[in-house]
Amino acid sequence: MGVNFLSPLAFVFAATIPVVVVFYLLKRRRATRVVPSTLLWQRYLAESQASTPFQRLRHNWLLVLQTLLLLLAVTALARPYFGGELSSGRLQVVILDASASMRATDGKPTRFDSAKLEALKLVDGLRDRDQMVLVHAGVSTEVRQSPTSVKSVLRRAIEQCAPSDAPTRLADALKLAETLTKDAPNSEIHLMSDGAAKDLDEFESQGLRINYHRMGVGGRNAAITGLDVRGHPEDPTQRRVLATVANLSSNAIQANLELRMEGRVLEVRNLTLEPRATSSQVFTTEQRSPEVVYSAKLDFSDDLPMDNEAAAVSQLPRPIRVILVTAGNKFLEKALRSHASAHLEVASSLGGQSPEADVVILDGVSPDPWPAVNVLAFRSAPAGWFTNSTELEVGGIVDWKPSHPLLQAVDLENVQIAKSLAVNPPSWAVSIVEAAQTPLVLAGDFQRNRVIWIGFDLYQSTWPLRVSFPIFISNAIEWLSPGAGGGAPASSRTGDPLRMMLPEGLSTIDITLPDQSARTIQLEAGTRDFLFGDTARAGVYSVRKGTQTARFAVNLADPAESDLWPREELRMGKHGGVGATTMKRADLEAWRWIAALGLAVLLWEWWFYNRRTV
Amino acid sequence: MKALLTPELLRRLEQFQLLAKRHAKSSIRGERRSKARGQSVEFADYRNYVVGDDLRYLDWNLYGRLDRLFLKLYEEERELPVTLFLDGSESMGFGEPSKFDFARQVAAAIGYVALCGFDRVSVRVFPNHRGRDAPPQAGESSNRQSSVDAMKALGALKSVRGRKSSMMFLTNLAMLVPGGRADFNESLKRGAMEASHGGVAVVLSDFLDEGGYEEGLKSLVSRGFQVSAVQILSPEELSPTSYGDLRLVDSETGHSEEVTFGRHRLEVYTRVVREHVERLRQHCRARGIQFFQCSSNGRLEDLLLKRLRESEVWG
Repeated sequence: MGVNFLSPLAFVFAATIPVVVVFYLLKRRRATRVVPSTLLWQRYLAESQASTPFQRLRHNWLLVLQTLLLLLAVTALARPYFGGELSSGRLQVVILDASASMRATDGKPTRFDSAKLEALKLVDGLRDRDQMVLVHAGVSTEVRQSPTSVKSVLRRAIEQCAPSDAPTRLADALKLAETLTKDAPNSEIHLMSDGAAKDLDEFESQGLRINYHRMGVGGRNAAITGLDVRGHPEDPTQRRVLATVANLSSNAIQANLELRMEGRVLEVRNLTLEPRATSSQVFTTEQRSPEVVYSAKLDFSDDLPMDNEAAAVSQLPRPIRVILVTAGNKFLEKALRSHASAHLEVASSLGGQSPEADVVILDGVSPDPWPAVNVLAFRSAPAGWFTNSTELEVGGIVDWKPSHPLLQAVDLENVQIAKSLAVNPPSWAVSIVEAAQTPLVLAGDFQRNRVIWIGFDLYQSTWPLRVSFPIFISNAIEWLSPGAGGGAPASSRTGDPLRMMLPEGLSTIDITLPDQSARTIQLEAGTRDFLFGDTARAGVYSVRKGTQTARFAVNLADPAESDLWPREELRMGKHGGVGATTMKRADLEAWRWIAALGLAVLLWEWWFYNRRTV
Repeated sequence: MKALLTPELLRRLEQFQLLAKRHAKSSIRGERRSKARGQSVEFADYRNYVVGDDLRYLDWNLYGRLDRLFLKLYEEERELPVTLFLDGSESMGFGEPSKFDFARQVAAAIGYVALCGFDRVSVRVFPNHRGRDAPPQAGESSNRQSSVDAMKALGALKSVRGRKSSMMFLTNLAMLVPGGRADFNESLKRGAMEASHGGVAVVLSDFLDEGGYEEGLKSLVSRGFQVSAVQILSPEELSPTSYGDLRLVDSETGHSEEVTFGRHRLEVYTRVVREHVERLRQHCRARGIQFFQCSSNGRLEDLLLKRLRESEVWG
């Protein structure tokens, strides 16, 4: 078991030992006294001490003790430790909230910097056997440093942490911390946060020792909590930009809201907002280009500047090419023709080649090969989707999923169905409408294409006669052609993945991030649909897909995150809660300063002793 | 000039007489018994008459009984030389009052008692070249004058006899000033050699001489002196009060010693002093020398009227 040193550089202080010895060797300033005779003094000296310097050193216990003290002090400063088997110490899990609100400038200088300082203090207070885990709760929850006692490693990991522009899921981080501390009896969780998180009620704190280190002091903030672009119902060239501005401060504010199109100022409005009030502003503009970026800016100085700006990408709707393969279905054909953007083509069969269409609707037809596009299939499926499918009398719909985009504003209450195929849903699909015995409507992604499967014949049901049917068909066209019909979202939230449809034959795409850094991504052959997840920064992302370029706007757009008032208490689960704590100063390593002070006192004492005259 | 001894003390000293343990060996007639035969009232012996003897000393009663002529012999009374060896070196000038002042008072007292007893008193101050080693500074006429006076006084003190000389003796003694570097042994040896006869010798010194004191005392004893040694140390020497880091300079030799001294080291020093005094006392006792140790601020009467009397220096 060898001795190692945590701070071997401290041995530099050993250079002070010769200084002390020199102090002893130095000629002291002595007061001169004339005495009758030095005879008696000579004998006194012979009895008490030797007169020459080195003889004096030889028997000088004070010097020996002081040198020993110095050696001990220097060794202590070098922080020796023994590598051996010891029982486990405390485990501390430090969660750094890296959400957008932690970028507020009411910290040192930001809340996140304050959080890092607090975490570094905890590192300083670690005892020899203690271990620490660093969890970075950003867009995703990451363990930045696995359990370790090595302070330099922990410090480096903390220094490398940075806040994002996205809201965070602290519940995930706490669940992870709970898992990490499950087997450690002597463990603590330190949450460095301002408490601006919506999901904490999902987490039940079951006897966990959570120390909530509250960051931030103020809450002066105003934010653009939403920016959306919609089409004009009467004029397709007109666009309506909807900006939602919230004043989250405790005082009324007055600020200018500026709307720009591709950087050019379109309009400036002066807003007066009462405390905790929200205002929706609608701007109507004319858009000639198929794609423009609208940006809104709130001219107001507050603690969180990043949410004072938002962007939205506006695309003019383009026709959706729909091929209906049917033996004849008047209801379906009529519903499709009523869709504003759908350009319908009716065919009896697809033929052998891949169809040039955005959506293919198969009405009781099972083509071979299956078309490599998004499909709405009625009673049609390629071999392998379902293990067995028999026809059953189902009667009525018992349940559906109204939250699914396909079923928005769709009421299936009074729909009757005579017969349907009874299937077991495959793994790639979810059932969104169900009868008692079988799912009736499935939706999912199959081989990178979206598929809606309906198990009954429209003529065997009352659905085509209900209002919900054309609404469903409209929803289905929108869902099966994302981004094509102008219904693509104008902006998304930070942290949410960007979904983009890709033309065939691409091997790489180039993505330019808001900070102008570029990423080149290698694609697998045949990729048509791509998800880009690194959206922690707010701003406009530019994607170069071969010859095409698409832009995506990413905004914080989260009122909970923009609400900067630091929470004194975090509500967890149904009944739990954690109050803000203060740092436990007792654990800080103060001995080094005391040892250094002792060293200084020792040196000062000798300097003083040697300069004094009696 | 302040009188060395008070009239009261002089009056009390007149009652004393130096007690000589040996017969006087001086050739000069005096008041002390000697082994020599001569004229006095003290009968000593008879001897046969030989032609030429003084007929006045014939014992006619004895001639009447024995019919033979015998001559009565009487003890001859001689004088007792009293030699005072006074250490006048620079080191004796320290102390409050100075060691030299104290030594001079003791010398005055002993000398006065001796003069009252018609003994010859000789004061030997060493170093005896005062005035040559320490020439007075330019412009210091008073110093020059006092130096000349001291030289005259030294000469006058070489041999004094008779009670009528006592006042002059005391005056001359008071004119002496300490100074210079003394060689204790050499001074005492020379004094012993220059003395024609033994007698009473009183050595007044601090006995702090680098050359030691043994040879000097031995020469006095060998010469037949009845020796008394009085060691006078100042209070600062017995118990120093200067603490700290000191450079101590010897007043006579100029030799310096670097000493770190404090209250807690006082015990070591006093032990050193005690050992030094004890060594001197043992040396004296082994040679029949009477030894007295006193501090320069001690009571003079205590030494003169009590300790010297108890030790039968005088009675």
